[in-house]
Amino acid sequence: MMQIAKKVIELVLLLSLGAAAPSLVWAGDAALPPTIDELREQVHDMEQNAAILEEENRGLRKMLKQIDDNEIYLVVDTESNRLTMRRGNKTMMTAVVGTGSRQFVQEETGRSWYFESPSGSLKVLGKERNPVWIRPDWSYAEENMPVPPENDPDRIVRGVLGKYALILGNGYKIHGTKYTDLLGTHFTHGCISVGDKDLETLYRTVKIGTKVYIY
Amino acid sequence: MKAAVHVLLLLSLFLAGMNGSGQESDEREELLRQREALNKKIETLRREQDFLLFEKELYAADSKYLLISLGSKAGQLKYKNRVLKDFRFKVSPNLAGSIKPGALTLTKKREDPDQRHVLIFGKSLIIQWKRPARSPDQTDIPRLSLSKSDLQSIFYAVEEGSKAYIMR
Repeated sequence: MMQIAKKVIELVLLLSLGAAAPSLVWAGDAALPPTIDELREQVHDMEQNAAILEEENRGLRKMLKQIDDNEIYLVVDTESNRLTMRRGNKTMMTAVVGTGSRQFVQEETGRSWYFESPSGSLKVLGKERNPVWIRPDWSYAEENMPVPPENDPDRIVRGVLGKYALILGNGYKIHGTKYTDLLGTHFTHGCISVGDKDLETLYRTVKIGTKVYIY
Repeated sequence: MKAAVHVLLLLSLFLAGMNGSGQESDEREELLRQREALNKKIETLRREQDFLLFEKELYAADSKYLLISLGSKAGQLKYKNRVLKDFRFKVSPNLAGSIKPGALTLTKKREDPDQRHVLIFGKSLIIQWKRPARSPDQTDIPRLSLSKSDLQSIFYAVEEGSKAYIMR
């Protein structure tokens, strides 16, 4: 009986030493591991930090979403001569267009013009059907013709801007062209030239006030 | 015999204590696991906040900027809240892992004579056309390669000081 009891005691002692082993290893660590209470406190603080961050991010997302309206807007890339109609992240239409020729024209009197499309954030200020071109001074200078007076009826030219035009201000428009072969190149005097079909889509979709970003 | 019984009683008491420390060990393990999970969560939330604050700043600024998603190998040229252009890119394979998420500033625009446009974001990133001339001092900088036309459009849209944001 004594023998059995001795064996049991030995076995129990061995087991208890094994269970204590991890704490012996811990004791050897340079930094003491956190106590349970410290861990509880850390986890509690981290939960609070995460909750604060979540709340802040929710507020930021909400604020940005309010700015992210769902309006249609136009983008003109004057390097690749592409016009894109977009709504948020979605592209609704892409058109091959013509943009400013980046050429200089100088008049005998010394006046000069540089034909570049405007860049920046613009708006559609008006929409026209069967737009009329009022020939500007540079158009005469370009052809070495004498410049007529400002209200000369000779300046009025019909049928060269296509069926529709979107007015951007300062004489710039998005309009049609007779030179459809040149779409995709820099050939205009600064306006954005568009093919007939794309022009019709733009005219029917775009509203006055629509933003136009040209870069 | 009596002594043995006493020892057994004492040991059983000791083992009862051990059982308590076993529970404590379980709780410790659970707390450590929670701490690890919270660490990851906070890191993700901080990264998200960093991006949201970047967008907030750029929505109010009068400057075009780039968003670059390494995961989808796609980018956007943006102005305020508007997307101006979508583009796709390739990443230099040996350096893909070294691109860190976060905001970058365009430090230099270089237009080489053969129309090889290069956008340099300090020592962090170079955006280039597919077959660029490499400067010996820039071999370790991660590179994104774009098509020639995409790069040309972006090149003239941004200026030195413009921002880019890298997302995983």
